[in-house]
Amino acid sequence: MADLTIALAGNPNVGKSTVFNALTGMRQHVGNWPGKTVERKEGQLTLGTHTATIVDLPGTYSLTARSLEEQIARDFIIRERPDAVVNVLDVANLERNLYLTAQLLEMEVPLVLVLNMVDVADARGLKLDQPALAAALGVPVVMMAASRGQGMDELKRVLSQLIASAPAQARGGIA
Amino acid sequence: MTVAQLTLPTAQVSYDAPIEAELERLVELFALQPTLAAAYPLRWLAVQIFEGDEGLLAEVTAAGGPSLSAEITASMQRLQARYGEDLDITLVDQRYRFVHALAGKVLTRPGSVHDLTMSDRVDKVLTNRFLGVPFFFAMMWLVFKLTTDVAGPFVDWVDGVINGPISNWVIGLLGVLGLAGTWVESLLVGAVLAGVGGVLVFVPVLFALYFALAVLEDSGYMARAAFVMDRFMHRLGLHGKSFLPMIVGFGCTVPAIYATRTLDSPRDRLLTGLLVPFMSCSARLPVYVLVATIFFPAQAGLVIFGLYLTGVVMAIVIGMLLQKTLFRNQPPSPFVLELPPYRIPAWRTVWVQMWSRTASFVQKAWTIIFATSIVIWLLLAIPVRGAGQFAQAEMDQSAFALLARGVSPIFAPLGFGNWQSSGALTTGFVAKEVVVTTMLQTYHLDGGEAEGAVPTTFIEDVTGIFTSFGTAVVDALKVIPQMVGLNLGAAEDEEEFVPEGLATAIQANFAASSGGHAGLAALAFLVFVLLYTPCMVATAAARHEFGPRWIWVSIVGQFGVAWLAALIVFQGGRLLGLG
Repeated sequence: MADLTIALAGNPNVGKSTVFNALTGMRQHVGNWPGKTVERKEGQLTLGTHTATIVDLPGTYSLTARSLEEQIARDFIIRERPDAVVNVLDVANLERNLYLTAQLLEMEVPLVLVLNMVDVADARGLKLDQPALAAALGVPVVMMAASRGQGMDELKRVLSQLIASAPAQARGGIA
Repeated sequence: MTVAQLTLPTAQVSYDAPIEAELERLVELFALQPTLAAAYPLRWLAVQIFEGDEGLLAEVTAAGGPSLSAEITASMQRLQARYGEDLDITLVDQRYRFVHALAGKVLTRPGSVHDLTMSDRVDKVLTNRFLGVPFFFAMMWLVFKLTTDVAGPFVDWVDGVINGPISNWVIGLLGVLGLAGTWVESLLVGAVLAGVGGVLVFVPVLFALYFALAVLEDSGYMARAAFVMDRFMHRLGLHGKSFLPMIVGFGCTVPAIYATRTLDSPRDRLLTGLLVPFMSCSARLPVYVLVATIFFPAQAGLVIFGLYLTGVVMAIVIGMLLQKTLFRNQPPSPFVLELPPYRIPAWRTVWVQMWSRTASFVQKAWTIIFATSIVIWLLLAIPVRGAGQFAQAEMDQSAFALLARGVSPIFAPLGFGNWQSSGALTTGFVAKEVVVTTMLQTYHLDGGEAEGAVPTTFIEDVTGIFTSFGTAVVDALKVIPQMVGLNLGAAEDEEEFVPEGLATAIQANFAASSGGHAGLAALAFLVFVLLYTPCMVATAAARHEFGPRWIWVSIVGQFGVAWLAALIVFQGGRLLGLG
């Protein structure tokens, strides 16, 4: 069952590639978005008996279609209707990163937040109330230090929950 | 279903009541259009329309007709009366308010916010007004050395393995099959293996480039480099990040074209990609050296330096021209840049980038390179005069010479309308350094490259591959201390060997085709080599990056630029009574 699609979204420089590499290992393919000069990376993730295609969207600060990257990311989410969007955020710059999250909320797509660089945030004395964030947005929130591999298992667990529920979802995507 | 609901967010950005009311109204109207309801989250669609998304507005209008369009205009006018013309800014602002409130709820900052982080302290030095630029140049120098000197020994190794053991094995195998010395051997060795080699020799160069790019990007320095150079580059209508591809271009155009990937906007990427070939790549140097030592033995160094400078000046001039013409409607992207904190690059990410991007080049580039190799081989193989047989034709009796003679009148106004020059320029499309080889061949001189094939055994070949790889590693490592200014072991001076008789033959030929202005014709020839169509691999790279349409601009455009520049040099020089 390779019919699940999970998109990775986030600002530039938040460790999205590291999360992508950790999820897909060497099972990835780099090409270009159709007719575009922007790199398109996708890879396979196996969770139990299921396979999901992970698509790494271009890193953007917003989804307003002002630049090619923003347009690609936006169109993918709206037209391809991925089964879930994993939004990677840099906790050390949380507020700026949450702007993209606000736009993702408006797109009404299943969302998982990955709060990356908790180690850097810790070092700066930033304290994050994970349950409060999860409750406020109604989405799963995973704490992560991707460069050290921390939190990756938790993300996979959240994603397998999602995959387990996927056949019942019947989201009617074009995928 | 329960999990599905869990993962669908329950929260929503809420705007001011008047905006919410208009959003609600539009959502109700949109819901009446089945095409819209099936394709879009309707509230999102309404928000996009308010933010001024013209593409979506057109779609909505197409689906709902003029009545819906009128309703949208009415909604927007009501809101604009309240919030002013820039409705999009109001929406962005309210979204930020939502985000700010949310962040305030979940994040606690320590008391002293203004402590400088480690990253900020490093930046005080690296983006410093005075220290920033020298450090930047030092980094560029490192990248340049990495893609040239460090990659060099591995390029030679790949080249050696393909032309040595692998061709030996192919020839040996063909001998067993009774095909030794036939056209099959010539095709396999002269075209197929040459084509394969033509692609693979770039693998070490691209590996080195992508390593450097990945480290620069992942460490966070690339953003600083752009910041440091932006003031200068912006004056040329380029982006701060355009500088790196330009520098890499002095080594090789192929990695330079790929280096444009670090640029964010497609406009900057394409513009930089079109200018990169004007940076004189290292493969053109042998041509300069050969021609300059023959015609200007006393000032060869000056001539060569002048050529490099001409390339840079041409890039600036052409860049300005392109912005006034092709890119007229695309202003330079505003310089908004995030300086991410410095980080140690994740080596796995670096490796994955090196590997996947290089593999992507090999997959994409081989078709063009292969096709070109075969075409050139065929042209050389087909005899059109004399008694030569297929695949054994003398060069001046081949279809290639016929073609070269056919196109040579194009170069007559430039002073080098002889078939040897046009032939050499044609093969120059395969690789610039081949210009020299072809010149030697057309003047019936082999460049001392016909190595006496010493018969080797299979075992010797295999061990040779490994020992030469070891030598390549050692050579590459030896370069590293030199990059920081240490010179362990004297660098060998590479003296270009000009075979006896070649100088006189070329001089006579240029004198004949230029009506006695051999020096001017040679200069025009050099300028032409500097500026004309990049080699097939660079063309393949440009196609890979920018699409098939742009390679024609690059091929035809550069040919035209080179032709004009060479014309100005030759005819202008004659008018001024030089040479």
